[in-house]
Amino acid sequence: MLKYTLRRVLAMIPMLFLISIIVFSLAKLMPGDSLGGEIDPANTDPEYIEQMREKLGYNDPIYEQYFRWITNFVQGDFGKSTRYKIPANEIIMERLPNTIFLSLTSLIITYVLALAMGIYSGRKPYTLGDNTIAAANYIGLALPSFVAGVFAIYIFSFHLGWFPSNGSVDISVTEGTFEYWLSRFHHVLLPAFVLGLLNTASYTQFLRNDIIENSRKDYVRTARAKGTSESKIYNVHIFRNSVIPLVTFLGFDIVNLVGGAIITETIFTYPGIGQLFLTSVTNRDYSVLMTLTMMFSLLTLVGNLVADILYGIVDPRIRLD
Amino acid sequence: MKKSFLKLTVLMLVLSLALAACGGGDKKTSKSSDGGNKSGSQDGGTLTYAMEAEFKGILDVNFYDSQSDSEILTFNTDPLITFDENIKAQPNIAKWETKDNKVFKFTFEKGVKWHNGDELVVDDWIFALETIASIGPDHQRWSNVNTIEGAKEFNEGKADSISGLKKINDYEIEITFDKARANNLENIWQYPLNRKHFADLKGNKNIDDWLASNQVRVNPIGTGPFKIQKVIPGESVELVRFNDYWKGKPKLDKVVVKVIDGSLIVGELENGGVDMSAFHPSLLPEIQKLKNVKIEEVPGLSYYYIGFKLGTFKDGKVVMDKDKYANKQLRQALLYAIDREEWVKEFFSGLGNPVNRPMPSAHWIAADNSELPVNYTYDPEKAKQLLDEAGYKDVDGDGFREDPNGKKFEINFAHYDTGNPTYEARAKAITQYWEEVGIKSNLTMTEVNLYYDQIEKDHETMEAFYGGWGTGADPDPWALWGDDTVWNYPRWVNEEANELLKQAVDVEVVGTDQEKRKNLYVEWQKIFNEEVPALPIMELNDVYAISNKVQGVKITPVGTEDMHKWSIKQ
Repeated sequence: MLKYTLRRVLAMIPMLFLISIIVFSLAKLMPGDSLGGEIDPANTDPEYIEQMREKLGYNDPIYEQYFRWITNFVQGDFGKSTRYKIPANEIIMERLPNTIFLSLTSLIITYVLALAMGIYSGRKPYTLGDNTIAAANYIGLALPSFVAGVFAIYIFSFHLGWFPSNGSVDISVTEGTFEYWLSRFHHVLLPAFVLGLLNTASYTQFLRNDIIENSRKDYVRTARAKGTSESKIYNVHIFRNSVIPLVTFLGFDIVNLVGGAIITETIFTYPGIGQLFLTSVTNRDYSVLMTLTMMFSLLTLVGNLVADILYGIVDPRIRLD
Repeated sequence: MKKSFLKLTVLMLVLSLALAACGGGDKKTSKSSDGGNKSGSQDGGTLTYAMEAEFKGILDVNFYDSQSDSEILTFNTDPLITFDENIKAQPNIAKWETKDNKVFKFTFEKGVKWHNGDELVVDDWIFALETIASIGPDHQRWSNVNTIEGAKEFNEGKADSISGLKKINDYEIEITFDKARANNLENIWQYPLNRKHFADLKGNKNIDDWLASNQVRVNPIGTGPFKIQKVIPGESVELVRFNDYWKGKPKLDKVVVKVIDGSLIVGELENGGVDMSAFHPSLLPEIQKLKNVKIEEVPGLSYYYIGFKLGTFKDGKVVMDKDKYANKQLRQALLYAIDREEWVKEFFSGLGNPVNRPMPSAHWIAADNSELPVNYTYDPEKAKQLLDEAGYKDVDGDGFREDPNGKKFEINFAHYDTGNPTYEARAKAITQYWEEVGIKSNLTMTEVNLYYDQIEKDHETMEAFYGGWGTGADPDPWALWGDDTVWNYPRWVNEEANELLKQAVDVEVVGTDQEKRKNLYVEWQKIFNEEVPALPIMELNDVYAISNKVQGVKITPVGTEDMHKWSIKQ
């Protein structure tokens, strides 16, 4: 297992390197640069713009710019955000806690709902309850998050007034107090639900199908024949086998945890990584854009690895070496 | 730093600067319809101001560079000089005197306090100017300082101070410029910087250190009616009232500025989550339906145009070397062919007016329509007649006109694309107007970054294009229409027009006589109006939605004003 892990980790290096070349070239190929949007003839003279372009190295050939960037990057200098004027890692760290808080909440919501609904549906397949859950799930799956987000805001924020429609916290509460955390939780709940909706649907159906499948297997029949109680069969024997596919999702959830949700965060004006990524693309903020992309790539690769390793742990039949 | 909130698209290049303007400046006192039992204005309360664009968080006026930051800064910063509704300079904290437009004497109000309790003295202004000068070309405002005598020497380290700055006493300073100009006053950097607050950065030439400092990002200070108490990056800023504000204690307890997605503005206004916000014209019909909100409309400082590539930009010079649109009658006809009234009504909810010159009406140098040689109105017959006269006739009978040599003539019209679905519709409408008078027109929608890139580089696919400009406090349109500037996108050169623009800033010609200066600009606008190197389309008004609870709000084309007099009904 250790050898396997090491091999996989080493294989990531060339992969990340290739990803960086492609993403960097694509970013640079986008028309315009970070100074274009700031042109303001009453305010800045063309000389200033030209000077900044020269200073930032935008006039050099792409490969030179790439080598400059990668040399700094591997040394831990991620560059300075041209938009926010502070180092890229600082601006990312500023937004990261918001995103982790959002995705963690949404993950908890997803797992709680998926487990509850999945177990119920799996135990009582083809009943009214199961069909209702399935219908709800497919609606959830079919609903794009920008539609779900807008509806959620309209109903729960504007109409019922239960949740705020934007932001991560009420600015007037003092940081660190109980009210502060309550306010943060209040703000995060609605976007977290919208974000969790999609995953909930697929997790529920995975769990349900697995439970149904397992319940027809021989070991279940044997357990029944031995007189094991029905609830023990479901909660111990079947459940343990049925969560295997779900556990493997956990690896990918790591990526989601920090990757942010571009659409949901934007609709709810929630200052997180997803929103930052979108602004960095539209503003051609190369250093933030590249740092985020590299972070996502790394986490995806790590997430894959974690998923594979977890799979081996929960299911001893799978051998990794 | 009154700034007009130009709610156009981010994509438009806006050069709005510290300006001011506004026809009317009519301050409407609200007649609240909800719970009319309480008395009118009273102290206290929190005003929530929403904006769509995320702020960058550079919250000291001496370093900011974006419209979104400036909206927050309006509340905590007070300029030395303001601009009235016609964008004319007016004393605020400082008064000035000059005899020759070269040496200015400024006198500060006494008793103006910084948020940290210090009194504002001329040394703070000197500190700001020296800071910018020591950073030099890396600082965006260098061009607002390098006209002071001795600033360049100071920047190069050849002098210990700027020789043109002469402190007389704590409240008086004499500033000498390197030469007399008509616009020295409008051009100089008009904001002080607190010496104590930034003591640890004094003399630092690296702008990045200034930009990253806590004094700029976390606890910025100013002299305005509200002080910044708390900043949540990218999300909101909390400002509390500054009791020692020199114009009087503000009525509101707090102002919260927050960023919200454009799609939420209507709903938040309706349920009271937001008290005030500028909004895009396309939202007007929805906002008009809200009973608890009034709409404030002020003339804006931006205008839109359709430009034709008449030449190229070579080695720092504009050269007129393209002849497809060289015919003046053709261009005039194309303007007569467009029903601009109808078009503005349809695509901008009527929140704009057609203009016949490249200058928003609010500006003091704007020529009156009656002064202009041609008053363009929607007149397709006139357009056809002009085209006939110019030789654009349909010779092969396909329903479209050919050029005077009998060759096919098609306009390739370009418009930027930002994903906003109304842009394509409005651009299409323009081409249809042209086809109605017999000119075949094609439309290309181009991604906005690429679009401006191609315009700037005179790419061959760009020949007729849609654009917009904002105007600054300094009326000089040279940066946009001079013969050595890259922003002269149509690449139009007219000797006589250029001469007028040069004279208008030449002290030898105009001295300190504003009337004389205006007349020269009016002459220039006449030439433009006759030549139409770009078709002026319209000026857009700025619109704000304000809750009925909020009273005393004053807005001019330069932005919001007198915030210390604003109040909110509890």
